[in-house]
Amino acid sequence: MTADRVREVTAAQHRKTRPARPPRAGVRLARLYAASRRIPAAVAAIAACAIGLRIALAGHWDSYGALQLPLVFEAGAAAAITVTTASPHGDPERVAGRWLPFLRLAAALALTAAAASALAAAGTGAHLAGGTLDALRNVAGMTGIGLLCAAALGGGLAWAGPTGYLVLGAYGLYTQWHGPALTTPWIWPARPPHDLGAAICAGLVFTLGIAAITVRGARDPAGE
Amino acid sequence: MNVEITGLTRRFGRTTAVAGVDLRAGPGVFGLLGPNGAGKTSLLRMMATAMPPTSGRLRLLGRDPGRYGQRRQIRRRLGYLPQNLGYYPGFTVAEFVEYFALLKEMPAARVQAAVRVAVERVELGGKAKARLRTLSGGMLRRVGIAQAIVNEPELLLLDEPTAGLDPEQRVAFRALLRDLGRRATVVVSTHLVEDVGAACAQVALMDRGKIVFHGTPADLAARGEGHGIGDAPLERGYSAVLTGVRS
Amino acid sequence: MNTTNAPAVSRQLPATRRPGRTAARLLRLELRHNAMLWMLPVAIALFWLTTYRKAMAMPPLWNLRATSMQSGTLLAFACPVAGAAAWTGSRETRRHTTEMVTVAARPRWARLLAAWAAATCWAMAGYLACLAVLYGVTAQQASWGGPLWWPAAVLAASLPAFSAAGFAAGTLLPSRFTAPLATVAAFFVVALSTQLIAGSQSYWQVSPLVTGPWDTGPDAGVATFYPYLPDLPIAQVMFLAGLTIALLAALALPRGSGGRGLRAAAAAVTTAGLLAAGTAVALAGTGKLDAHGMITIPALHDAASDRPVRFTPACSHTAIPVCLNPAYASYLPATVTAVAPALSEIAGLPGAPVRISQAAATYQQQAGNAVSVRLDGPPISGRPPVYHLLLPDQLLGPTMTTSELAAEVRSSAGPAIVASVIADRPGASQAQHAVTAGLIIAAGLPLQGLPPGTTPAADSRPGVRSQPPPEVAPGSPAYAAARRFAALAAPARHAWLMRHLTALRAGRITLRQLP
Repeated sequence: MTADRVREVTAAQHRKTRPARPPRAGVRLARLYAASRRIPAAVAAIAACAIGLRIALAGHWDSYGALQLPLVFEAGAAAAITVTTASPHGDPERVAGRWLPFLRLAAALALTAAAASALAAAGTGAHLAGGTLDALRNVAGMTGIGLLCAAALGGGLAWAGPTGYLVLGAYGLYTQWHGPALTTPWIWPARPPHDLGAAICAGLVFTLGIAAITVRGARDPAGE
Repeated sequence: MNVEITGLTRRFGRTTAVAGVDLRAGPGVFGLLGPNGAGKTSLLRMMATAMPPTSGRLRLLGRDPGRYGQRRQIRRRLGYLPQNLGYYPGFTVAEFVEYFALLKEMPAARVQAAVRVAVERVELGGKAKARLRTLSGGMLRRVGIAQAIVNEPELLLLDEPTAGLDPEQRVAFRALLRDLGRRATVVVSTHLVEDVGAACAQVALMDRGKIVFHGTPADLAARGEGHGIGDAPLERGYSAVLTGVRS
Repeated sequence: MNTTNAPAVSRQLPATRRPGRTAARLLRLELRHNAMLWMLPVAIALFWLTTYRKAMAMPPLWNLRATSMQSGTLLAFACPVAGAAAWTGSRETRRHTTEMVTVAARPRWARLLAAWAAATCWAMAGYLACLAVLYGVTAQQASWGGPLWWPAAVLAASLPAFSAAGFAAGTLLPSRFTAPLATVAAFFVVALSTQLIAGSQSYWQVSPLVTGPWDTGPDAGVATFYPYLPDLPIAQVMFLAGLTIALLAALALPRGSGGRGLRAAAAAVTTAGLLAAGTAVALAGTGKLDAHGMITIPALHDAASDRPVRFTPACSHTAIPVCLNPAYASYLPATVTAVAPALSEIAGLPGAPVRISQAAATYQQQAGNAVSVRLDGPPISGRPPVYHLLLPDQLLGPTMTTSELAAEVRSSAGPAIVASVIADRPGASQAQHAVTAGLIIAAGLPLQGLPPGTTPAADSRPGVRSQPPPEVAPGSPAYAAARRFAALAAPARHAWLMRHLTALRAGRITLRQLP
């Protein structure tokens, strides 16, 4: 066998041993990443929020309750998204290649989109106060708060942000009836769905949260 | 006898982790050797009252761990270091050891002194106020040992205690084991036969849930003469026994 | 490892001699590392935003501040403490210490109780600090009365209950999702389940968010003329304490939590707790709105609480004194100014009131959650006659600033005082309507304020109308007569009324007979 022939055979063997469809490695990586972050459980929690909202919307609510209702489920979905940022692997994962930031970004975006879609779908055909736009804005904004908390406090405690904001947002809605009114766009749940300032604030917080979690990831657990 | 085990069995579904083990141990350091999956950790967990046996008889410190009151008395006199040490990263070394001293129902007046002594004995006195999240793996292992010995246990169960310790620390740890073994029954589960040779008066070798050898380290070394593979006599004895059992 | 340098510890005693001291040390250790400590800034920030700001925007009345504090502070603290307790409850699983702590002698239940207590202590410390600030500031601002402790007690009972619920969730279902879902569930239960309340006989009044008839919000009209009724708070505290005890005792039920005796005792305590909570719910269902605006529960009611509160009214030094309950003393100057134009028109007339005196409002439950608030009896009565005034803040609706209140008194109470002197009530003569309207126009008051009266529904206020009543609508004969009467000089009007008021009140004067 000549050297050229050896080279040819080796190249052919390489071709044979290479995965038949390279993208499957990416899918496998994404699946393993999702499993490590308990993303299937988060999806289940989001689905539970959507189902809960749908069931709740079948009930009779006064005008204040009807406004608060979607916010509760939006906060629940946002909190579920943010706790998926906690990494069980720590440094070994952090130093294992360039894909991690992209996986974090993709997971956060996909879960936020899933939550907004599921909650909007749950409100279809029922009286969802604020409508789809409101759900999208609130979920994105509260997820952004949670992602920023994850970057600052760790993934395990990231839920403190969205749930704290839930109380504030619900109070903001309450002040529409009983003053002194909170009208700042930073409390976006209390603003109408088409309010540009509120949408910009929620979008800004979401963008900052996504950027923080993509670049930095959730802070390692701070302990008890 | 501090440990009296007769026909002890533990099953997990169809898997039998411990299969009819008989064992008696008095004060002194007792080594538990065996390959991965031999059933050492399951046996140790049953002895630690962390897991009840499926069948068989177990008496610890002259008491029946199946009865709540007696189990509680055993636990007051027990020290246990599991294979995977769980810890609270925000606690300091002293707080973590104090936490376990309190859980072991030590008299409050003696806790502080006992914590100081336990931390000193694992040579972490200078790190007593350091948070656990700042410690290295070896230091964390020593914290685990400190919590196990803080109550001066009469029965001390250590699962892979030297994992992560540097050679100097391992030598010091063996001395500590010998010291503890003067008054208490110390059961050490390990893969490292040199630890057994240096610190243990008795050794048992487990394979597939059964004790396949029980004797002194010298007896085990003798079983390897002319047989087995390994650099040290104990290693050769270890491999010779396992080869004999499996053939 | 040191075998010789460290002093050997002598053999330990078989058991702790002073369990209280050991438990205290364990609690101290837990306190240093509890997640609620990290959540306190969130809770305090929420308190400031949702409760303190709102309370400070209200008049310095103890009833308003205390009841608004109960509702607001509950949400600010209950959600964080439920989440922090759930986080604490799941700690052993999260940190893989379950096996190590299980083989320690202290019973699982005692160990868990220390962790729960730490979360609860921090929440209580934060709450008590907030309460001290709010009540301290109110004590400096309020003109009369003292702190209402029942709302504070309900809150103090609420935090352990929410903490216990979160902790139980974290212990039984340890997962990274437990804490956030416990927090959201706590909010849902507190804020949205009040939708189930319909009327004063609802079982869900047992919710610690409820301070009185639901939908009325903080009400300045209660607990000033009559004491703050503890009936509903007692039921709420009973419910919350029962729930807390049941949840905590239930932690000792699983095998391995303790000895047979402990578990049997835990089962008994759990049952007792559930029974107490159930009884409290049943008691809340028997509640009804009393005439003084509070929920009475017959089985818990003390008749002594129905006796009016003794007080010395705060009175103005005017020709016709205006007297208010001292709790509302800060409103006195504005009220005097507001009623002065009307009083100047009627002063000295036969049958004119010798005093304007603030009265207690009477409450009545309407359909659903609607409540009517009105003056019980005629506005003017007694000899010498006294006009009974309800301040707008005693009626339902959002609380007002002093200037808003003054404008409201001017536009509603002023015309009402004039109408009561002229006996201008439904069925009165055209001349009475015209004279009343003339005096109101002369006093510079709005005709829309006529007639004075009551609030038919929860959120409406008396006298707030955009149009005058049809009897004196512009273009009507009565209106023309009223304008003529108003155009007279004040002494002429007064002299005419001195001569003809008795006949006018009896309906014997016609429009044509008016000057």
